[in-house]
Amino acid sequence: MHRLGWFLPFVPALVPAAIIAGILVSLLSAGLQANLGGSLFSFRWNPAQNEWGIGVFLVGSFLTAIPALAFSMLIGLGLAIASTVYLPRFMSRWLDPFVDLLAGIPSVVYGIWAYVSIAPLFANTFNPWLNTNLGFVPGFGGRVPSTGGQGLPISIFILTLMALPITTLLIRDSLRSVPKDLWESGLALGATRWEVMHRVALPYSSRGVLSAALLGFGRAFGETVAVAMVIGGASTLPTSFYSTSNTIPATMFSLLDSARNNSHFLSAIADMGVVLLAITLVVNILGRRLVSSVYAYEMAGL
Amino acid sequence: MANVLLPGAALDPDDILTRSTGRLFWRTGFDRCIGWILPLLFVVAIFPILDLVYYISSQALPTLTFGELTSTSPTAIDALGVPIITTFEIMLVATLLAVLLGVFGGVATAEFLSPRAAEWIRASANMLAGAPSVIVGYFGFITFCTYFGWGYSYIAGVVTLSFFMTPYVFRTADLAFTSIPRPIREAALGSGAQPIQYILKVGTPIAFPQILTGVFLAMAIGVGETAPLVLTTTHGVLIPPTIYSPVSFLTGLIWSDFSSPGSGLQAVAFQAAFLLMVVVVALNIVVRIVSARYRKRLEGLYQ
Repeated sequence: MHRLGWFLPFVPALVPAAIIAGILVSLLSAGLQANLGGSLFSFRWNPAQNEWGIGVFLVGSFLTAIPALAFSMLIGLGLAIASTVYLPRFMSRWLDPFVDLLAGIPSVVYGIWAYVSIAPLFANTFNPWLNTNLGFVPGFGGRVPSTGGQGLPISIFILTLMALPITTLLIRDSLRSVPKDLWESGLALGATRWEVMHRVALPYSSRGVLSAALLGFGRAFGETVAVAMVIGGASTLPTSFYSTSNTIPATMFSLLDSARNNSHFLSAIADMGVVLLAITLVVNILGRRLVSSVYAYEMAGL
Repeated sequence: MANVLLPGAALDPDDILTRSTGRLFWRTGFDRCIGWILPLLFVVAIFPILDLVYYISSQALPTLTFGELTSTSPTAIDALGVPIITTFEIMLVATLLAVLLGVFGGVATAEFLSPRAAEWIRASANMLAGAPSVIVGYFGFITFCTYFGWGYSYIAGVVTLSFFMTPYVFRTADLAFTSIPRPIREAALGSGAQPIQYILKVGTPIAFPQILTGVFLAMAIGVGETAPLVLTTTHGVLIPPTIYSPVSFLTGLIWSDFSSPGSGLQAVAFQAAFLLMVVVVALNIVVRIVSARYRKRLEGLYQ
């Protein structure tokens, strides 16, 4: 190589690191620009009175992402177990791509579908049903506010659907990577398929299952547009399970016009961005350290 | 175990064989029940996607006409010609930029970096792929629109979107070159090829299909992404005359029109959603086919 050109190959390799650094620098500098008066980590969001508590939206984010993750992990485990063990090969070959296809559909398409077609179902059927049957549980009782179906339940539904392909794919992938010898020796000893699954295969692939949970959480926590379309955009803490709320990414997205004109808004939003980025990065790094199947990531669009 | 084998010895009730044969009926019964219940979950998972496809098509198709798809009139609210053309332009330029940044970066990471440095770079690519789209959008807004003073423009949108797409291309390019078998690399370099000759003449033909998969995947992700573009460009009614003009695009059209029923705008949003869905699903199927063929070829070539 030429003497001066030795560093040339390293320049393109630094691209992703440079972009990440650029994101951090721009968010931090915008976040520190305006003085928000120390109210950042409170639970009151009232820009007119100079209160910028992003805690409200953190609560909304966790209230939607954690139930969505729980549902999609349960369904994902079921689907992965069914397609690795119980379904005949030709059926799982045709059914699996349908679930994988869920990952490809743009979130804005999910959003408009949920807003027009699913929200009335929640308003007229699901929320009242939940209210009469689970009314004794705190948070589920009381009067159902008329929000046109928008709010926490439909956001949880949408996020479950959007995290489902990731959890299913990663769990399926890690179950498929259990050595055949283990399966066959388990079955030969007289264990049933279910016993081999839950005593041998699941413990063997527990790292994969954990990483599916972490990456699914990352997806549900960072999802922006679809949630912004159905969550209702409240800036107060939810009073019941049926209230409207807001998540951090959805707030950032829908407050854009304010951010364009008001530097305080821009600072508060950039601070939300720093918090969001920190949480998703930690979750992603932990999740990816556990498994390293690039094929599954590709198919899940991660 | 030993108790079972010795004649005359009493059966140990805690013995594994005694326990399991005694409950054989319940154990196999449970297994069969699970075997019927779990596959039913596929109905739960697949029903929403079928409903989504059916609902979007049923809202979009009855009113979708060819004239609407090609009309570029700036005043008609149902003219989809401009957003279709501009989305295509955005995707073309953003993909080119992402390929430029991603493929060179991936190849350099796979070929020139020490394993330790490559690990760090790969971690940062993974971080970028895991970052929520709204973060990348605000980065573009703060850096390009405000700090660089480009305003809400075509170029700010395209560059932001290409940054969002880069890690996917980067990762597949890196993976494609690292997964080339060592003997091939050593044979090329050992017979006197310069690294650049090895990359161009040996590596690229082998890695090309996989890199192409990555590019298609990045396009499928990029064309459906809303936040990076909405945050960096505003709506233009025209095909942008300069790169500093605002530009419209399909996802932004859906985002701005989804909540106005009855005005005809929502119908246009559904038509845009339908087009988007068709394009993204087609790209995903292409990715699937190319990567399946690639895997098969790889298995045939190097056992």
